[in-house]
Amino acid sequence: MLFNIDFSKILQLFTYQEGDPLLFSTSFFIFFFFTLLLFYRIFAYKKNLRIFTLIIFSLFFYYKAVGGYFLILIIMTIVNYYSGQILGSLKEGISKRRFLFVLTIVANLGVLGYFKYTNFFIQIINNIGSGNIDALDIFLPIGISFYTFKGLSYIIDIYIGTFQPVKSFRDFSLYMFFFADLLIGPIDRASKLLPQIQREINVPRENIGRGTYLIMSGLFKKIVIADFIGLNFVDRVFGDPTRFTGVENLLASYAYTLQIYCDFSGYTDMAIGVALLLGFNIMDNFNAPFKATSIGDFWRRWHISLSSWLLDYLFAPLQMKLRNLRMYGNAIALFITFFAIGFWHGSNWTFILFGSLHGLYMVVSIFLKKPKTQLFKKLKLSDTKLLKFSQGVITFHLVVFAFIFFRAFSIESGWDVVSQIFAFFQAGVFMQFVNAYPMIIILMVIGYVLHFLPEAWEKWTENFVVKMPVVVQALLLTAIILLVVQFKFAGLQPNIYFQF
Amino acid sequence: MITEKFKKVILDELNLDDFDIQDNTTADQVPGWDSLNHINVILALEKAFNVHFKGIEVLRCKNIGDLQNLVNTKLNQ
Repeated sequence: MLFNIDFSKILQLFTYQEGDPLLFSTSFFIFFFFTLLLFYRIFAYKKNLRIFTLIIFSLFFYYKAVGGYFLILIIMTIVNYYSGQILGSLKEGISKRRFLFVLTIVANLGVLGYFKYTNFFIQIINNIGSGNIDALDIFLPIGISFYTFKGLSYIIDIYIGTFQPVKSFRDFSLYMFFFADLLIGPIDRASKLLPQIQREINVPRENIGRGTYLIMSGLFKKIVIADFIGLNFVDRVFGDPTRFTGVENLLASYAYTLQIYCDFSGYTDMAIGVALLLGFNIMDNFNAPFKATSIGDFWRRWHISLSSWLLDYLFAPLQMKLRNLRMYGNAIALFITFFAIGFWHGSNWTFILFGSLHGLYMVVSIFLKKPKTQLFKKLKLSDTKLLKFSQGVITFHLVVFAFIFFRAFSIESGWDVVSQIFAFFQAGVFMQFVNAYPMIIILMVIGYVLHFLPEAWEKWTENFVVKMPVVVQALLLTAIILLVVQFKFAGLQPNIYFQF
Repeated sequence: MITEKFKKVILDELNLDDFDIQDNTTADQVPGWDSLNHINVILALEKAFNVHFKGIEVLRCKNIGDLQNLVNTKLNQ
């Protein structure tokens, strides 16, 4: 046979395969994206066809990720669209409007809660009443936490009166379906994305350069740094912390903090880059978070689309409700908000502890603010470089501490990591580690150094890439893809067990 | 239009000597007016003008001009 093509394999590419979504870093995504760009170009001046092309490709993209569950996305889109229409037409203050608003919020949170938290609550009920309700076999459709929040912000904005419901169901669908930010954000706002859907397409030369740059840096962060150190180092230590010394546990905690940043912000960079190539500006999600000098500052730089969402739609209303308690009201509202941030990540006590720790950090910091300012003044430390540096180091370590529990399989396992660090440090193992795993250390150093470079340098590099001729950009992208492929197929490093 | 009294309440609450506040100025442009301090500014305005805001009315304000208008509406009621 001349062409030995296995058609069932090709069919597999186009149908839902469990646990195999169309991630931006896969080769089939490149095929998907170029096909999309082709149709997009053909229909560039036919708005209706162009938007439908995006909708159809987005739905296919989501079908590849969750199979038949993409229908839930469609149903929630219809619910939110019509609810938004009615809310917009009803007079403010009437009880019908309030009722519909509450109903829509409950519907959105109910669907999210059912898929994400049912078994968690069954487990809690079982533990309390020592009952034995069987856990349900519930599939968690990825992306649901993200698009639920997108739908909610649309409904809340209309209810408050800061946004008018969109007339076109087509445009609203694209806001909800848009594949670039569908799976893991950024959680875009209707007020930012919908006007871009409605206007004529415009992809300036600069956007192409910036998009390409973001896709390259995203691929590098995700595959070269995050996946490599995750697979070869972090997974092993967190798999059984007690088998490793304190030095290794500490390094693994730093490594995981870098890994989760490179993984998440790398994927977000690619999402923003892909959207730019299609003519959309979606919101930033990260801004050098480890440069933060306080926990509040950290959350203005980390997962910005989630923290600003909760700031606007949970913290601000709570704060208004509790305003007569003043500082205490702020403290309660903050703690609830960070508890919600933790719980949003998933139904596990480790995430709840992660959120609560950050809530606690924030609450302590607001009560310490005044005495701290006075103390720094007395010591003549205010606005000094030394103070900024120390605050940066302390903030970073508070963040690392919380991430240990975020990563651990259970709270106990997280404690194992901490107790190994404090009770069984074995500083001498460090050199052995460097000799045995030079690649891990090199990648960690590269990752952190790149992160801490001055912002102006990064802007300069970005502009340098943006100004390159398209051919050079394409070559550079190819080079990065080749590098990424090398790392992808490098596979597992030999698992050398460290004896002390 | 931002009135003198309105501006003074805000500046006093934030311990600012002077800051140019226009209708379209947003809270985050004013030094010290962050998401935590926000509530102190709101409480100071409520006290100075002897008005009571509903949560949703404050959430709807996009800039300081909107907040001034809210106070004006309350005073005219």
